[in-house]
Amino acid sequence: MSIVKSAYNAIESVVGSRFISDDPAICEGYRSGPGGYESGLGYERVMTTIPHAVAMPKTTEEVQKIVKICNRYKVPYVPYATGFYGPRSHCHVENELLIDMKRMNSFEIDEKHFCINVGPGVIYSPIQQECLNKGAYVVIGGGGAQASAIANLIGDGWSPLSHRIGLPHRRILGTELVLPDGEIVKMGSLANGDDPFWGDGPGPDLRGLLRGFTGLRGCLGIVTKMAIKTLPFQPEPLVPTGISPNTGLALPTNRVKWINYQVPNKAAQIKAMFEVGKAEIAGAITKVPLFWRAINKAECKEEFWELWGKENEETIKNFFIVRVLLIGFTSEEQMQYDENVLNDIMAECGAVPRATRPLDESWIKNADSAGMWLMCGSYVSVDYIIESLSQATKHGEFYADTKKKYTPPLMPDYGDPGWFQSFECGHQGYSEFLVYWDQDEDTNGVDQFYLETSKMNIRERCYTSLLGPHQPMYLTGPMYGPNYHEWMLKIKDEFDPLWVCHPPVPLAHDEFVKRAEWMKPMEDWETPEKLPMPDWK
Amino acid sequence: MQIKNELAKIVGKDYVSESLKDREKYSRDQSLLPPGLPDAVVWPGSSEEVAKIVTWCNEKNIPVVPVSSKMHFHGSSIPKQGGLVVDMSRMNKILEIDTDNRLARFEAGVTWEQLTTELAKKGHRVIMPLLPPGDRSVLTDTLEREVPTNIVYDYGEPMQSVEVVWPTGELFRCGSASVNGFPDSQSRGANPSGPGLDFYRFFQLAQGTMGIVTWMSLKIETIPTIDKIFFAPVDDLEYAMNFLYRILPRRIGQECLLLNSSDLAAIAADTMPDDYDELRAKLPPWTLILTIGGLVRRPEEKIAYEQNFLKEILKNEFPKMGLTDNLPGFPGLGRKMMPLLRQPWPTNLPYWKNGVKGACQNLFFITKPNRVPIFMEAMEFVAAKYDYPYGDIGSHIQPIEHNRACQIEFSFFYNPDDANEKALIAEMYKDASVTLFNEGAFFSRPYGDLSSMVFDKAAGYTAALKRVKNVLDPKNIMNPGNLVF
Repeated sequence: MSIVKSAYNAIESVVGSRFISDDPAICEGYRSGPGGYESGLGYERVMTTIPHAVAMPKTTEEVQKIVKICNRYKVPYVPYATGFYGPRSHCHVENELLIDMKRMNSFEIDEKHFCINVGPGVIYSPIQQECLNKGAYVVIGGGGAQASAIANLIGDGWSPLSHRIGLPHRRILGTELVLPDGEIVKMGSLANGDDPFWGDGPGPDLRGLLRGFTGLRGCLGIVTKMAIKTLPFQPEPLVPTGISPNTGLALPTNRVKWINYQVPNKAAQIKAMFEVGKAEIAGAITKVPLFWRAINKAECKEEFWELWGKENEETIKNFFIVRVLLIGFTSEEQMQYDENVLNDIMAECGAVPRATRPLDESWIKNADSAGMWLMCGSYVSVDYIIESLSQATKHGEFYADTKKKYTPPLMPDYGDPGWFQSFECGHQGYSEFLVYWDQDEDTNGVDQFYLETSKMNIRERCYTSLLGPHQPMYLTGPMYGPNYHEWMLKIKDEFDPLWVCHPPVPLAHDEFVKRAEWMKPMEDWETPEKLPMPDWK
Repeated sequence: MQIKNELAKIVGKDYVSESLKDREKYSRDQSLLPPGLPDAVVWPGSSEEVAKIVTWCNEKNIPVVPVSSKMHFHGSSIPKQGGLVVDMSRMNKILEIDTDNRLARFEAGVTWEQLTTELAKKGHRVIMPLLPPGDRSVLTDTLEREVPTNIVYDYGEPMQSVEVVWPTGELFRCGSASVNGFPDSQSRGANPSGPGLDFYRFFQLAQGTMGIVTWMSLKIETIPTIDKIFFAPVDDLEYAMNFLYRILPRRIGQECLLLNSSDLAAIAADTMPDDYDELRAKLPPWTLILTIGGLVRRPEEKIAYEQNFLKEILKNEFPKMGLTDNLPGFPGLGRKMMPLLRQPWPTNLPYWKNGVKGACQNLFFITKPNRVPIFMEAMEFVAAKYDYPYGDIGSHIQPIEHNRACQIEFSFFYNPDDANEKALIAEMYKDASVTLFNEGAFFSRPYGDLSSMVFDKAAGYTAALKRVKNVLDPKNIMNPGNLVF
């Protein structure tokens, strides 16, 4: 059954004929895949499809009307901004409506009060430039400056610049959400007025519905407006320089500079992060894996493989770089103070400064452009988790051990345990573990590895980003909270009783395990034979 | 008697009471709200006991009113519909102080006095609101988002993981403490978010209506090794706000606040009422207080760059801002105020707001700093309507996170034994609430009578809130009669 004509006509009457289409050529453009993230995996092949139709609303009122029509005609829908996150933000069921938010792309900056009000179609790049022009900055997630700011903030939302403020949840201020049944919730100061400068209240904080540690991938409504907290920066301009793809921001080194330090061992890396955090200096401090250096040096994939092929387990084990961003938030004198303190700490750690270019290539403005990670064609972060530095500095080693069994199809990386860094001045630690594969090869092992890491985190008692819709909820649910899945499903049922909003998320990975033959042998946890949701096949 | 017998099976007979004397202690607080008597009081000693109590109450449909502090100001712990008071004060253990990851984990009954004392022994502190009563629960004040005086951190929320008992009685850990086996785990509980949803948000500002939080992890900071405190007399609030807009985003300062003469006198007076009256008469209308701190490394250099920055700004941009290390005419004020900004109010003294006349009704809200003069004018207008001396109202402006917002708090001091004055204050408080709300004040914490005003105007939010409440607490046993539940 396709979207009934009367539903289509009703939506067309809301957005106008120019902003709705069921043309197969248009719909094909919304297929999951080319972005690289989770590309070619079983989840993408089994669980995603192209939309039956695409609508592009311009206002909250239009979004609300569309959602109500979808509820009335039982049309499944998924909100979509840039689609950067890969399969999980694309259509999962047949005859689904994709609601593309790109036209809601206005933003307004409140320079004095360090907040910027954005629509879901606004990407990071222009708002970061506006912020920089006005002495502020936003933290651009690893997804890159081409990602939707709202989608990133309700999904992930961090980078090495999270050293000053880690949790993206704390940067979400007044927000407007169209619930899955079409009701509108205005959160924070928007609940009582027009100015979204304040995030919590009144009373219990419903921003809890927007996400967990990581996001819900659009299964609990559509955010139509959000005020984002920006952070005070420094006044000097950062000047774009270079020729694409080798571009960057030239840094005014009296106020902004990266410094790379070579340290003797991992213990020194960890000590440096704890001490920099306690001293409350710097704008970022991160471990640099050897892998990054190869990516950075290579100008093409062939050159990357040539460089990477020279490495081995010993070189990986003995590569210890700490990269620090100093920012003169107050003055040049403060910058000098930070550098003096940093040098004291690094001397105690036995570190040696390395020549570092006065350039920011990725983190302040562009973040990771997706191309950086495509040396195999496909990649995914199997974990990207904010916890303590205690967990962060051990977590990657568990991953590296688990990965050995699944290499190949995963790219050989000589046991690289990923990277870690300080968040919120060392109150938190961040760890990330990326894997790469060739999507033209048999990728069943990648799917299995992904699931295996969930069991590993349960076994090792680590917190992980991959809960909720990212892994089978009946596997992770009983082991976190405990039973967080039961509360989450109750909330989903309350606000989306028909499950029209991006079905079958958040049970999509449970469904995937049931459908994919190669995943079934791994299912050693209890799952209901029939998952508690309507059948949308 | 049935309640007592059943609860005694869970906590032991010494920790449950149905005596009128015990129940009356919980029937009223410092607010102007009417009293309400619980049917019984229970003092659990562990999370497991709390879970069993709530499970039993849920089965029997008995209201549960969680209480953690000895002093309450807003009426939120007055039982509106009887039921059982669950007093968490026995759960007063500091479970861990992790100086590497800079977090402390402690139970609901841990007080400000207890926590600050123990942290100081290890050279640490928490960012805290202005002079909370020493016997208030740190956990409750943090959940209720009491605004800290410290303005320098980008993260105004120090809370990390929490453990809760759902209204249906299950124990649950939010955030990274949710891992199996916590705290015997790699995870240290440093992240409040998740699993699945940000459940911790539902417990913030909830006044105990969404469940009972049994312990929490909180960020701790190192105590500065050198401090300097500055004061500036202020008679032009707009000018002062512009000064703060200039310096606070440049990450200057540790604590920063503005107090009017009534509030500052209430804090600084050695004796009541003589010293208070004399101070009030001499103090400027407003006083800006700003501290800077040298941390554990190169503290003198840090103090120097902050002072040099301030010196330039004062000289070139704000010559009328008389920021010096003591308030003219008040020698010794700096020595007195500096420790007060990092400590709770001593439990052996009358609470500073009650010292003036015996009781105090507070009214506070969030706004933007450039709107401060508008709200002061509105308050002055309301006071005039009641022939109440505007200067007698305590006023405190608390900048938040680099001055991106601020909290304004008015304190209406009154004699609790004077029925006429009490009635006048109640009327003026209501009138002021409505006037300020209509001017755009955002009451993120709408206690008592404020809730209907605020939630009536927030229809969509209120409806969604009720749906969440219905999921978590289908029988509405948790602190019924508060907020919109």
